[in-house]
Amino acid sequence: MKFDCNAYLGHWYARQIRHNTAPELLSFMDSHDIDRAVVGSLSAVMYRNVQMGNEELAAEIEDYRDRLIPFGVINPTYIDWESDLDWCVDELGVKGIRIYPQYHSYEVGDEACEAVCEACADRDLICTLIQRQVDYRQSHPMVDAPDLVLDDIAGLCEAHPDITFMILNGLGYGGSRLITEAADLPDNYYIEMSRSSAFISKELKTVVDTLGDDRVLFGTGIPMKNPGPVFLKLKNLDISDEGKDRIFGDNLARLLDVQ
Amino acid sequence: MIVDCHAHVRGPFEDRDDPWEQDRLLLEACDALGIDVACVSHLGTPRPATPDGFREVNRKMLKSLEEFRGRFWGYCYVNPGWTAEALEEIDYCLGADEDCIGVKLYNEYKINDPVVRPVIEKCIEHDVPILEHAGYSWVNIEKQPSISTAADIVDVGEAYPEAKLIVAHLGGGGDWEWAVRAVAAGPPNVGADISGSVVDEGLVEYAVEKIGDDRLYFACDMSMTAGMGKLQYSDISEEARQKIGGENFLKLIGREA
Repeated sequence: MKFDCNAYLGHWYARQIRHNTAPELLSFMDSHDIDRAVVGSLSAVMYRNVQMGNEELAAEIEDYRDRLIPFGVINPTYIDWESDLDWCVDELGVKGIRIYPQYHSYEVGDEACEAVCEACADRDLICTLIQRQVDYRQSHPMVDAPDLVLDDIAGLCEAHPDITFMILNGLGYGGSRLITEAADLPDNYYIEMSRSSAFISKELKTVVDTLGDDRVLFGTGIPMKNPGPVFLKLKNLDISDEGKDRIFGDNLARLLDVQ
Repeated sequence: MIVDCHAHVRGPFEDRDDPWEQDRLLLEACDALGIDVACVSHLGTPRPATPDGFREVNRKMLKSLEEFRGRFWGYCYVNPGWTAEALEEIDYCLGADEDCIGVKLYNEYKINDPVVRPVIEKCIEHDVPILEHAGYSWVNIEKQPSISTAADIVDVGEAYPEAKLIVAHLGGGGDWEWAVRAVAAGPPNVGADISGSVVDEGLVEYAVEKIGDDRLYFACDMSMTAGMGKLQYSDISEEARQKIGGENFLKLIGREA
């Protein structure tokens, strides 16, 4: 089973995205043998009121809940955001959320971030951070959203051992505390591997060897990204077939408690 | 035949147990991904490169060609600001090894700066391509103030119709839509390689739609799965995949598969 933890629906403000409705995304997933995906609203990232994006997502996936698993986008600097979070849990049925400090003007570990982490802990929600939604060099001239710092995320994981974190679109894990101090950090974080290198520096192997194949997740970034490179990385990763199965889907299914 | 037209070697490290360890890592990736030949330069010298600096790295590049004969073809790297030395070095490298097939320019000068003209004319004389480091971005401009944009390269392509010019890494230079449109509007002697770590869905498809499949070249620029993933998994015709994968570049440098 291929269960993608890093997928999206909706629009991106700086570039046209194809395959970005639920039927189109499912067709795209079929063409790449991806069975299921965790999806968040891409539009919500840049909506002032992210909740409108969550509601769009809910309507979009209504007929496809067996394959598209929603995560809400939460902005803890916006008015009444906790109501958005409750709506995501009660109405959308999310088991996790995505937060975007770099687009919502707060810092990893600051007061707003702490508040949303505590809210996740209260509701037993997975908290997802995306180191970068797009390559920084492709920044829109009016938007400056530098990559999140992995060591800051490591500090967040350390400060909240009761929360499960997912880290998407990351690069440089090998030199970060997430790997170099993994033995001293809580085992509450899962790393999505789409940007880790399979060759030359072989960061992906380092990540798997350090965390174990049960804390690494298959993710592609579809439909923003071409999923092909991820397949090549996993094909060429020197671990057991059972380990690859865990990365491709078993780990995420376990995390989300789905069959 | 799959040809990666944009890669880098490190040459031998004489103080290591396996002096060729770094280059073997590239070769290991090529083997695993089905890349027959990687076209390599060595840029491991402080910039702006001095003549001693670019000579030293080019000697290492030539050793790599010799050590891994047939798997690496080379680009001679020069800083065009050192006119006489750069021209001499291009003559030397292209004469020293028949597998040295082109010239690599980095970011010391924009390619349409007049100081680069003698190097362009030297490449025309030798009938070899120039692979030009390129990007167009709104950020980090201060880090590379003289980086060439695709439009700068198109300028040169229009001024020198005999020149063979490659815009480096569509997926590694910022706004790839901007670069694609610049190349698409340019003359037929300007193409682009698809390398870089950016694997945006639709990148290759848009490039083929706008530029066509005759002026695009497969490359990884050391982001190995990114490059091959874009080639293998993009929604383009098999004919286009073959042309981009190697045929176009072989035609550009006048070699058979």
